[in-house]
Amino acid sequence: MSVPILKQGEYLIASVQSALTDADMLKLQEDLSAEVGRLRSRGVVIDVTVLDVMDSFAVRTLRNIASVLKLRGARTVIVGIQPEVAFSMVQLGLIMVDVPTALDLDEGLALLDAAASEDGADGR
Amino acid sequence: MADPTVVGTEPASPALTSEQLDELRLFWEVYEDHYEEVQAGLLESLAGHPELGPLLRRIPPDELEERGRVSRELSRRALLDGEWEPYLVNLRSQGAEYAAGGLSFSAWFAAVGAFRLILLPHLLERFAKDRAGLIRSVNGMNTFIDIAMSAIGDAYLASRQETIRLQQEAIRELSTPVLPVREHLLILPIIGVIDTQRARQLMEGLLQGIRTHRAKVVVMDVTGVAAVDSAVANHLIQTVHAARLLGATVIVTGLSSENAQTLVRIGVDLGALNTVGDLRGGLEEANRILGFRVIQVDDRRSEGTP
Repeated sequence: MSVPILKQGEYLIASVQSALTDADMLKLQEDLSAEVGRLRSRGVVIDVTVLDVMDSFAVRTLRNIASVLKLRGARTVIVGIQPEVAFSMVQLGLIMVDVPTALDLDEGLALLDAAASEDGADGR
Repeated sequence: MADPTVVGTEPASPALTSEQLDELRLFWEVYEDHYEEVQAGLLESLAGHPELGPLLRRIPPDELEERGRVSRELSRRALLDGEWEPYLVNLRSQGAEYAAGGLSFSAWFAAVGAFRLILLPHLLERFAKDRAGLIRSVNGMNTFIDIAMSAIGDAYLASRQETIRLQQEAIRELSTPVLPVREHLLILPIIGVIDTQRARQLMEGLLQGIRTHRAKVVVMDVTGVAAVDSAVANHLIQTVHAARLLGATVIVTGLSSENAQTLVRIGVDLGALNTVGDLRGGLEEANRILGFRVIQVDDRRSEGTP
């Protein structure tokens, strides 16, 4: 089941609809990488609200996605991690310090906006 | 509320030798022959006791009589027929009831002391010419009293344990509040000892709070945490990481000089922690992160505005 990817201005929103298999996660990585290039997006929000569990493969893949997209010129924000999921993740040590996170879609987009204006100020 | 009939341990038949059983029965014979007299004597003797006097007077006489009757029947069945369980259950539940009611444990010794004083003359009279019998019946009386006090004591202990457990629960619930201060800002004051269960409660409460109030910054104040060891530090760090996953930054404030030195000494990795000395500083930092600045408004009275 592939994850639908929607365009919102300069950003992409990938909204996970159901539990993802390992293959689904890898497909998401490919799809996002392709779309970022095709649509010249500067930021991507991955919404995992629906997921009630995140294992180490999922976390590793999300981190890979962030790295790949960065190379393709886009920032990634993960949003919608549920309290119970966050709880289990930290217990397992899956703390994902290198990928920005936000509470929900609104906050995620706001974060991308803020980061983009900082880039602008740096004269990039 | 504690159920006064809850008892802590399973009643078991007391381990008695057959000699002890004989002694008990010998004693019981005399006691039962003078039962009403003994009861009356006891009531009279304990009327002056500061705790037991008022307590006994509060119970209506026919109820007292009924309790005495039940007691007598249960004791007889225990001592003569070996039906110990109902007898012990009754003792423990009485103990639980009186413990919950606030009767001191030492009051029971006063009751038991009075009991002995009243029974002894009867035993002396019955066994005036039978020294062996006297010794055996006195042993029986002491065994009877020991069994009873042991059951009552168990009940008192169980009751205290239950009270402590309830108090601990209450403390847990009270002391992990999540306080919304301003939009996007929460304060989490932590007080007391943080064990694994409390840390878990703390984290759950905080994460729910972040979601409910859409918090972007949490000021977690640990001024009230007495001792920080590596386990506590770990809990705090995990809480910081979990909050981050929900998009909130945690600022830790209030680490005492002692705790700070302890953490460094035990080599806890504090790279993850954003710390500020005190709550005030933490709030200032939170404002900075959220893009707020606090300005003092001029005194309106001096401008003549109502």
